[in-house]
Amino acid sequence: MQSGALAGAGLATGAGVGALVRAGTATAAPSQAQDRQIFNFALLLEYVQAAFYSEALRNNALSGDVLRFAEVVAGHEQAHVDYLRKALGAHARAKPKLDFRRATRDQHAFLDAAVLLENLGVAAYNGQAANLTKPALAAAAEIVSVEGRHAAWISDLAGKPPAPRAADVGASSVEVIRALESTHFMKAK
Amino acid sequence: MTEPTLAQIDVDGALEEAAAAVFSRSGFLRKSATTAAAALTGYLWVGADAEAATANTANDIAILRFDQVLEYLQAGLYTEAERLGALKPETLDWARVVGAHERAHLRAIKNLLGPNAVKSPGFNYGNVTSDERAFLKTAVGFEDLTAALLKWQAPRLDSREIVAAAVSLHSVETRHAAWIRHLVGLQPATVAFDKPASQRKMQQLIDSTHFLASRPQTSARKKPRYTG
Repeated sequence: MQSGALAGAGLATGAGVGALVRAGTATAAPSQAQDRQIFNFALLLEYVQAAFYSEALRNNALSGDVLRFAEVVAGHEQAHVDYLRKALGAHARAKPKLDFRRATRDQHAFLDAAVLLENLGVAAYNGQAANLTKPALAAAAEIVSVEGRHAAWISDLAGKPPAPRAADVGASSVEVIRALESTHFMKAK
Repeated sequence: MTEPTLAQIDVDGALEEAAAAVFSRSGFLRKSATTAAAALTGYLWVGADAEAATANTANDIAILRFDQVLEYLQAGLYTEAERLGALKPETLDWARVVGAHERAHLRAIKNLLGPNAVKSPGFNYGNVTSDERAFLKTAVGFEDLTAALLKWQAPRLDSREIVAAAVSLHSVETRHAAWIRHLVGLQPATVAFDKPASQRKMQQLIDSTHFLASRPQTSARKKPRYTG
């Protein structure tokens, strides 16, 4: 997939790469308009996560503790999607077209993808926290808290360090998009 | 029984570890110009970096001073557990990793506070650092509530740089909480939205443990600078 396709599939309706880059670099003081850009950016990740878990469950690809994790976390991610869509109202972006291939059919591939997606969620929210207005920050903190728990839980199940660093440094929106692009989960329209 | 000195707390160069982590992410952050990354970099290298973030409103200072006492308590608790070595291997493993994190957090907060930093109170952990059940119960309680506390504080901070730094610690606390819950067989993430908890709630938990053997300073230090 080319980055052009991703820009089309991934970025907020009415907000181009420039808008996201500006939000990511925090040159602008927090505002409700900026909250909307950031929530729409978060919504993209939440769409991917929610669809990933629900598809893995539909495919009966998982068993044991990993299945239990996916059952619980699928509900959380869908609740995050619902929350952000409601907060954004008419501004909410559409769900991207997704293709998870082996990641939702094979438990081993699932574990790798889940660890990546959960850690990416933490980095994405942390990277935007200082760019949000106070009420939006309060809401985002309740979500990233749960993403952090998911990340530790699935890392433990995958035999990786649940808390690999003393600080989870945030990533910029560009870095997050690049990482998401590397999964090839999002299809060009 | 235990009165951790700073030298004890920083036994393993936790600051270096945390700072190294910032730069270990293969080009990811080297190229990054995000506020969060920049602030945290300054935040961990404070003292070596002229642009390092410093808490300079009364509100931010009060919040960070509260956190510093909490980090002293946690760092001391886990460090002592590791030193005594009486817990199960997987619990000790958790205490070793999380202890190093809390020591790094302590140093980072101390640097953010500069001259407003709090001196360590004395602690007495009783049998909690050597009794498996008591330790696990205490660790789950403190990690869950610390994560909730940082969520309560985040939107109450004035400085955006300090917000960026604080949230990078917050999600690590949620990882600690999930990890220890998994270790004891509790569901690591029970709800889709984690609710905040106030400093008053945390103070109640701290008081209930009777770990504090001496009161932390609550007012700013007025001691003249040591010019030795």
